[in-house]
Amino acid sequence: MCGIAGLLITDPDQRPQLGALLAPIFEAMTPRGPDSAGLALYGDGVEVHKQVGPATKLTADMALADRGGTCGIAHTRMATESAVTTEGCHPFMAGDDVGLVHNGSFSNYATVRRDLAATGVSFDSDNDSEVCCRLLAEQLAAGAGLAEALGSVPDRMDGFYTLLVATPSEMAILRDPAGCKPAVVAEGSGWVAVASEYHALSELPGIDEAHVFEPAPLEVHTWRA
Amino acid sequence: MPRTPRPSATFPAAVIEQIHELSDVGHYEIRGWGAKRAVPSFDDLTFLTSSLTRYPLEGYREAIDTTTVLGAGRAERPLVLDVPITIAGMSFGSLSAAAKEALGRAASAVGTSTTTGDGGMTPEERQASAKLVYQCLPSRYGFTPADLRVADAVEVVVGQGAKPGGGGMLLGQKVGERVAAMRTLPEGVDQRSASRHPDWTGPDDLRIKIDELREATDGQVPIFVKMGATRVPYDVKLAVAAGADVVVVDGMQGGTGATQDVFIEHTGIPTLPAVRQAAEALRDLDVHHDVQLIVSGGIRSGADVAKALALGADAVSIGVAALVALGCNRSTTTGDDRSPPEDVTDDYLALGATPGTCHHCHTGRCPVGITTQDPELEARLDVERASRRVENYLRSLTMELTTLARACGKSDVHNLEPEDLVALTVEAAAMAGVPLAGTSWVPGAGAGLP
Amino acid sequence: MACVSTDVVVLDAAVDDTRTINRALRALPDGARARIEHARGRHNLAVGLHHPVTVDVVGNAGYYCGALGERATVRVDGSVGWCAGENLMSGSVTVRGHAGQSTGASAHGGLVVVHGDAGARTAISLKGGRVAVAGSIGHAGAFMAQAGVLLVGGDAGDGLGDSLYEATVFVAGRIASLGADARVEDLTDDDVAVAVALADEAGFDHIDATSLTKVTSARSLYRFDALAAQRY
Ligand code: SF4
Repeated sequence: MCGIAGLLITDPDQRPQLGALLAPIFEAMTPRGPDSAGLALYGDGVEVHKQVGPATKLTADMALADRGGTCGIAHTRMATESAVTTEGCHPFMAGDDVGLVHNGSFSNYATVRRDLAATGVSFDSDNDSEVCCRLLAEQLAAGAGLAEALGSVPDRMDGFYTLLVATPSEMAILRDPAGCKPAVVAEGSGWVAVASEYHALSELPGIDEAHVFEPAPLEVHTWRA
Repeated sequence: MPRTPRPSATFPAAVIEQIHELSDVGHYEIRGWGAKRAVPSFDDLTFLTSSLTRYPLEGYREAIDTTTVLGAGRAERPLVLDVPITIAGMSFGSLSAAAKEALGRAASAVGTSTTTGDGGMTPEERQASAKLVYQCLPSRYGFTPADLRVADAVEVVVGQGAKPGGGGMLLGQKVGERVAAMRTLPEGVDQRSASRHPDWTGPDDLRIKIDELREATDGQVPIFVKMGATRVPYDVKLAVAAGADVVVVDGMQGGTGATQDVFIEHTGIPTLPAVRQAAEALRDLDVHHDVQLIVSGGIRSGADVAKALALGADAVSIGVAALVALGCNRSTTTGDDRSPPEDVTDDYLALGATPGTCHHCHTGRCPVGITTQDPELEARLDVERASRRVENYLRSLTMELTTLARACGKSDVHNLEPEDLVALTVEAAAMAGVPLAGTSWVPGAGAGLP
Repeated sequence: MACVSTDVVVLDAAVDDTRTINRALRALPDGARARIEHARGRHNLAVGLHHPVTVDVVGNAGYYCGALGERATVRVDGSVGWCAGENLMSGSVTVRGHAGQSTGASAHGGLVVVHGDAGARTAISLKGGRVAVAGSIGHAGAFMAQAGVLLVGGDAGDGLGDSLYEATVFVAGRIASLGADARVEDLTDDDVAVAVALADEAGFDHIDATSLTKVTSARSLYRFDALAAQRY
């Protein structure tokens, strides 16, 4: 139960501003998840930052506003069934560079976790979102594309979710069949932004001209950097 | 004479009967009341009252405080009750207007609150109840901002102990003209309400909903969040994170007007472990002085109240017990000033029940006029007499509670603590987190119980 | 706080918190006008107003804009988050841009107008209010709607009208799919009149009321016994 935020920059000239644009979106999600915060930042490679405490602390500690890049996905967490620890923070990373943040809760994650563990997959936390992330990693390793892998999540995972996923070249989103957890997408000129609530996006330059929509349930949207 | 064959333990007569019934109708059984099976309960605990290590208070002479303040952390007007026993949410629709009014009058007489239910607030109920908690349920039947503004507290119902995760039900025979109009439903429809609220899912969005209710009430009154007891530690913490001023936890013995039997008997955890887990969750968050805990589900006696308070509840709420006090499952009606009580055993038999085993609230044919919308049946409940009974009952519960608290040396019932209790069974010791009597053994202690 | 300029009370969300703004709105005399500037997606603006005032929100509002309202007129010149006009009793909430999920949820009366698109669960649990969306709506529109009217100028997503009671839905565009117990009914002259009046009041001029698709309840879920033959 959380807030999610994401920003993909498609216009190379705007890449130096990634952090400056993403930080306010991320921080605006604090009330949805005051327990911990985390961020995966894509540029030259991928960096993952997570810590217990509010998003504002994390953005200040890493000076996010001064950072450039192609894409960032971020998460503010209101812990449900697992402990408030750094391990339980999102984003979860699949393979080397696939990041996932999740708002919602999975109702059958323990079973999927057991199934994956039986095939030799190991886990860093007891978090339901990590299970989904490992599942994605399996599919990607087996050769599926990001859209295909994300689109197959509902075949295995039950419950309520908005999933925001990033790779060094793409960002993608998926909502559960009932569309129970929120997501707002804004496709602007040179960027694509995602947040749980509209107000987080309201300060983006050019937001008034952007195409703003709520993704429909089970519809995978992907954007290339 | 042939010998009677041995009855099956797996398929006893009652199970066989139930399978026959399901195979006749093709759908689940619906009924009223709460779980009927035996579960570990407050009966499995006993108090360590005073002798030489602690000194008792004198009964009748030394005062004991029962005042209970709910929602003092944030609300401008917290709900202040004279006793820590409230009346749980039960709808007009499920209950007759007479029953609602009687409960309201009784609660007012002892200085406590009653609660609306699915279907909105009736003017009679508001009038009769000095302190009224207004429920906000998934169905939103009859939910209006005008009623919100005259409420003394608002209770967002996430779930209830009889059916955590399930929506409300009211069968067509109870959806009469007035109930249908209040709920904006066609008359006589078998009402099945939503399980999720129409405008939020999960604590992150609930937080915004609670803010909305606070805006609509100008921050004056406390906002309660009521849940059925399942994953209690997590749920309580999330309710607090969402902004609850008071958390209400309803154990699996909690009652209902109409619910699937499978839900009533097979979901949730008993009230006994639920209290302990909820109280621990509030302490973990260090909000136990600001956020109050109400527990419900199978509370029957002052001993139950005292034990719930000792385990960390600030108040309890009663539903089925209040109906029983009104006259539920009695063989006679209340009678009134013109006519004596009338024996209605035959009406119980006609429902397939007896006085003492009835759980037929869902039928709308309540023999004593409590859970009905039929004017003739409703007339069997005299509001004056019924409310006197409930008032007597609430006073008796309070006297039982203060008797135990005094004997434990407390001048305030809220000073009862888990250390005042021991358990009579291993199960109860584990669930309540208190030692088995005569030992210092708390089964499972330190095992990181969730 | 509030400052008065040419008889419009101006409130600034960049300066004041939500409680202060809503208190100032409630304190307005009947017939007064107010403007909330720099709304920037703020939740719970103009909630619970119960007197005839007109409130203009400049920019985008968050969740529950104008919710629990009676007799007030709330207008947003941008977009809104979830639950605009939720549990409205009377008066109106008008959104120039798009609206998120659960727009007009449980509205007992009044009018909710969205000039752009609206999200999922539009008019869910509707109880007599009217909801008019110029564009399209998401899935589960009018879920369990009990009374009132939903008018959709564009397309409707999956599961329209699931478990409907007595509310009526009119859709100008395509319907992705109907929900359980919803059915298409023939349009009567009275329906056309209702839709024309609603479109006029909403200020829509792109809807041909005579070619709307009308969706109502098949009423097959009204009796519990019918469950035996249903999917559940
Ligand atoms: S006597 Fe009335 S209230 Fe009691 S269980 Fe029977 S029907 Fe329900």
